[in-house]
Amino acid sequence: MNFWFAVFRQTGRNLRQTWTSQFMTFLTVSLSVLIFAFFYLIYTNMLGTGDRLSDDLRLIVYLEEEPGSEMKEQLRRKIKNFDDVEEIIFVSKAEAYEHFVTQLGDDSDVLTGMPENFLPASIEVVPLKSLRGYNQIKLFSEYLASLPGTEKVQYGQEWVERFYYFTRLITIVVLLSGMLLILTATFMVAYTIRLTIMGRKDELELLRLVGATNSYIRTPFLLEGILQGFMGSVIGLSALYCLFQWISVHFAGPGILNLFQFNFFSFRVILLIILGSIALCSLGSYSSIRKFLKF
Amino acid sequence: MNGSNQTAIEETVNSDNIMIEMIKVSRTYEPNITALSDISLSVETGEMFFLIGRSGAGKTTLLKLICNMEVPTKGLIEVAGYNINQLKGKDLAHLRQKIGVAYQDFKLLSERTVAENIAIAMEVSYKKPRAIKQRVRDLLDQLLLADKHNSITSDLSRGEQQRVALARAVANSPRLILVDEPTGNLDASTTKQVMELLNRSKMAGATIVIATHDASIYQQSTHRVMELRNGAIHSLTRGDQ
Ligand SMILES: Nc1ncnc2c1ncn2[C@@H]1O[C@H](COP(=O)(O)OP(=O)(O)O)[C@@H](O)[C@H]1O
Ligand SMILES: [Mg+2]
Repeated sequence: MNFWFAVFRQTGRNLRQTWTSQFMTFLTVSLSVLIFAFFYLIYTNMLGTGDRLSDDLRLIVYLEEEPGSEMKEQLRRKIKNFDDVEEIIFVSKAEAYEHFVTQLGDDSDVLTGMPENFLPASIEVVPLKSLRGYNQIKLFSEYLASLPGTEKVQYGQEWVERFYYFTRLITIVVLLSGMLLILTATFMVAYTIRLTIMGRKDELELLRLVGATNSYIRTPFLLEGILQGFMGSVIGLSALYCLFQWISVHFAGPGILNLFQFNFFSFRVILLIILGSIALCSLGSYSSIRKFLKF
Repeated sequence: MNGSNQTAIEETVNSDNIMIEMIKVSRTYEPNITALSDISLSVETGEMFFLIGRSGAGKTTLLKLICNMEVPTKGLIEVAGYNINQLKGKDLAHLRQKIGVAYQDFKLLSERTVAENIAIAMEVSYKKPRAIKQRVRDLLDQLLLADKHNSITSDLSRGEQQRVALARAVANSPRLILVDEPTGNLDASTTKQVMELLNRSKMAGATIVIATHDASIYQQSTHRVMELRNGAIHSLTRGDQ
């Protein structure tokens, strides 16, 4: 109780004495958290979108002609040879035509006079959820295209390709900004605390002589690191939330954001980012304490 | 924090009659300066003990050894029954809270106020802010510094700084008080105030060791006076002899 009172008093003195560099550190930490969280937010939302996209992902194999029941069995076996699949649906010419008619709805009269078998028969292959990566889908589609009697395979190649490349890019950016966060948080905090310690060498020396315990001398600096980590991450995340709100309001309506169905972090992720930032900043202050307050 | 240790120190202080025990203590500095050689000395609990000798005789070094600011090159030093050179961490910190030192170079924090400087000694043992405030005012009154309460320490004269250093040394009511040349910059009447303050601490049971040039503060007393010459004990007498 009294110990913590003394520690808070001492921390307050530290903050007052070096408030300019404290403030700079605080800004750097918040900015790093903001940058990291910004890309991480995009990343998690991309993953969510990716999940939804691959939920609907199906490969459509167009066939040269209507397969007989024997042929169907053969194709089914061949497909399963490559990999187990979620589902295989055969669509006959007639079914394709019916499907098309329902899709057209009121406009279906444009089809009058067309033969009911002008659409090709096809197989809809729903790959297993485990078959996610772009390369695997591509390999699978190439395999399907090589089966005898197939004409072509479609799955929105270009879209999927771009999406996967973009995801990979974002992953790298998230890792880089995460590293930036680690470096700035630990080094900036270590640096400011070093500055404080250097600026108060006389006092720390005197405190030892009048019988201050190590924890009395050290805890305020550790607390300072924790405070920097906490304040920095809370302000950084708040700034991101404001940005997020602003974008949601100004870019509402049909558009790419709706496709993505953008969500802010869950409470758990927010907590993790704050705790991570606190841990990093404490680490920074601890390293300075270890280096400059050893006795 | 760690109350058991603190009481252990206090019990030893009460049960043992000897506060400072030095046996064949030497201290040399590189390259070959012998600051102290073969000092053996016992100071009783509650005693007021004077340490005299010319400048460079080793008085400051002896005080620094007692409070573990310096370590002896040879010999044993016990304070309140503890081998002070083997104490570490919390134990050393708690013992130091029981030792008040007024350094020859004051060691005041020059950018802080007088009150803050004195308060430091009490803050480290978690005294209540109200008690600290009260004690600081009392001490400043006793040392004729009441109007300097909020002055920045570097603005004070040397004589005033000297008294602030003394106030800090006695503030936490330590069991042992080490004072290095407390009256060097003071006139006769202020010297009297300082000695009255130290005598009050002695009445309260503290052991006091005073290093001084100033014969006037020990000549009339019955306290023991030890003279150092070139780092060795030259004589050990009573003040009035
Ligand atoms: N840190 C040190 N390094 C080298 N020599 C020192 C040091 N401290 C004290 N001395 C020497 O030790 C001797 C005793 O000094 P000191 O104890 O300060 O004497 P006094 O306090 O009686 O004037 C002196 O010769 C001094 O020069
Ligand atoms: Mg001296």
